[in-house]
Formats: sequence, structure tokens, C-alpha cells
Amino acid sequence: MDPALVKLALGGVATLGCIGLFFGIGLAIAAQKFHVEPDPKVEAVLHTLAGAQ
Amino acid sequence: MKSIKSYHLLVGVLLIAALFLTGCEGAGHKFVKKTEFKDSDKIVLTFAGPVDEVWATNVANFSCYEKPDPDIVLTIKEAVLSPEKTKLTLIFEAPLNTGEAHILSTTNIMSEGQDMGAALLTVKKLYFGVLMTIFLGAALIKNFVFTKYLGLCVFFGCSQKRSTAIGMGMVFTIVIAFAATMAWALYQFVLKPYQLTFLNIVVFIGLVSLSVQGVDTILRKINPALFKAFGVYLVLVIANCIAIAVPLILADNEYTGWESFSLALGAGIGFLIALFLMACVREKLELAKVPPSFQGLPIAFVTAGLFALAFLGFSGLSIY
Repeated sequence: MDPALVKLALGGVATLGCIGLFFGIGLAIAAQKFHVEPDPKVEAVLHTLAGAQ
Repeated sequence: MKSIKSYHLLVGVLLIAALFLTGCEGAGHKFVKKTEFKDSDKIVLTFAGPVDEVWATNVANFSCYEKPDPDIVLTIKEAVLSPEKTKLTLIFEAPLNTGEAHILSTTNIMSEGQDMGAALLTVKKLYFGVLMTIFLGAALIKNFVFTKYLGLCVFFGCSQKRSTAIGMGMVFTIVIAFAATMAWALYQFVLKPYQLTFLNIVVFIGLVSLSVQGVDTILRKINPALFKAFGVYLVLVIANCIAIAVPLILADNEYTGWESFSLALGAGIGFLIALFLMACVREKLELAKVPPSFQGLPIAFVTAGLFALAFLGFSGLSIY
């Protein structure tokens, strides 16, 4: 196996992993910061409906 | 009241100034990241990777002329390569007319023994016209729905009522502008330097869903009324293939940041126009006497085809 290709593949995995981690943490922080309490009534009503559609 | 007006004026002037300041780039080759004028007699080329010194410092490998005058070749005095071998400064004998676009052609670019192919590069400064052309091209001339047939499932799904059409178009425009700008940044600053451009589809799909999720989260808190109005369309944007076409096009054409933004804005507005026009017709079609075998989607497809024919009329349009 060409070492340059191995390097490229490992570098790609590492880079994409970093991008994913970065944006994942960003989304998690955003989700926490902009957290909205879901209305319990919505859940209850949805539960009693048939839910076919 | 007066202070608000002058504030707006200031923002406008700053925006236009930013457009012209950032306008010193735009290359035409995969391996060349950036071309720009420097001082009055230099052109700086930035490569995506290190180039061979022997190739780069040989002046005979480059020839440059002003775009309107291809027969007047400008003399290059010297070519200087930076220590990291990615920045090449071409010094010209006479001062350059930087207001005009320059065409720079090179012989096959050599990078670490690899042949990257010959390049025909454009060095230009004035920018607003380019942006307007890209915007109009994406919105009308090469409308994604009517000339490229992209995003058809969302197009037919959301064009039954005018209100849903406008809602979907607006959400899509916001999300695509956001996603395309991020896609440009990631492509230029991460994928290209690490030579990972073959992964661009994966990254762009992730970016689109990321921006949808981000807009969803933030909008839910900041403006619940708007969030309710957008409702299910926000999630539907992921299913729209224009959202993946725009980043791929901007990566293919090596667009700069502002160019990417205007392409995305044009795509969004074009989609909004297409949806709105279609919704207007389909509302009338509800009342028309359509043969049974054509009712519903078939007549919608026929209508879309007629719209596509009509949009061919924009093909000669240009403002700048």
C-alpha cells in the first residue's frame, strides 16, 4: 500500500471526525442554550389520538 | 428618525466597500486557490499545495495579458516563490491596469513531481457585476427547478396553496444561504488544503442537515410564532436536492465567499419564484375542467413544462 494513500485516508478520517465533533458539540450547546420546555398537554393529546396519520 | 437613516446608509456603504475589497480573487484552476493584484506591478498566485521551485521561478512558464487585449503580452520581470512554496509573486516590468481583468496562462503546474495541468487564470478586481450575474443566473436564467429539474418533489408537494409556497420558499432561502456559506468555508479552508475534495458530497450533506437542525433549534426559542408558521417545511428542506446542488456547483466553479452567497441567494429566490408561480396556477386549476386522467399531478407536470419553456425566454438576459 502506498504510504501517501494511507496518510490521505487517515488524515481524511481524522479531519472529518474533527468537523463532526466540532459541529456536534456546537449543536449540543445550541440545543442546551435555546432549550424550550415542551408543553405536556401536546404529548397527552397526541397520545389519546389514533395516530394513523 | 434621522439617526436611523444615517445608520442604514453607513451599513450600506460598508457592505458595498466590503464587496469591492474582497473582490480581488477568483481563479480558474483546481490547484490555484487565489489570484490577486498586489501593489501596482505584482500579481500573487496562491496554490493549494507546494509547487516546484524550478518550474515556478522560470518566467517563461507564464504569460499575461489584459482581457480585452490578448495580443499585447505583458512582460514579467521576475517570479518569486515564498519559503513555504505555495505563494508565487509575479513582478511585472510596467505597472498594471488593475481595473481591468487580466488573463494569466501557465504551462503545466508542477507540484512535488506531479503534473497538475496547465492553468488559464483570471485576475480581476471589480466584483459587483460578477455577483449580480451569478444571482440572476441562479434565480432566472438557469432556474434550478425549471431548467435543471432539481427539487421537483418539494416543488410539487408544496405548490398547492400560495401561503405554503411562500413559506417553503422563504425557509429554503434562509437555510440554503446559511448552508452554502458554510460549505464554501469548509471547502476552501479544510477540504482543499488537505486534498480531501473527493469527500465533498458527504460533507455537504452533513452541512445541510446541520443548518436545518440549527435553524430549527434557534428559531424554536427566538421566534416561536415564525417557527409555527414554518412548521413542517423546515424539515422538508433536507429532502430538497437543490440544497446539495448549490454547494457542489460552488465547489466545482471555485466560487469565492460572496459569489457562493449570491449563488445560494439566487437559488433560494429562484425556488421561491418557481413555487409561487406554480401555486398561483394550481389554485386556478382546482376550478378548471381537467380530463379525469390528467387530474392532480399530471396536469401539474404539464404546467411545469410550460413554465420551463417560458423560462427559456430569460436565456439572453444580462445586466452588467
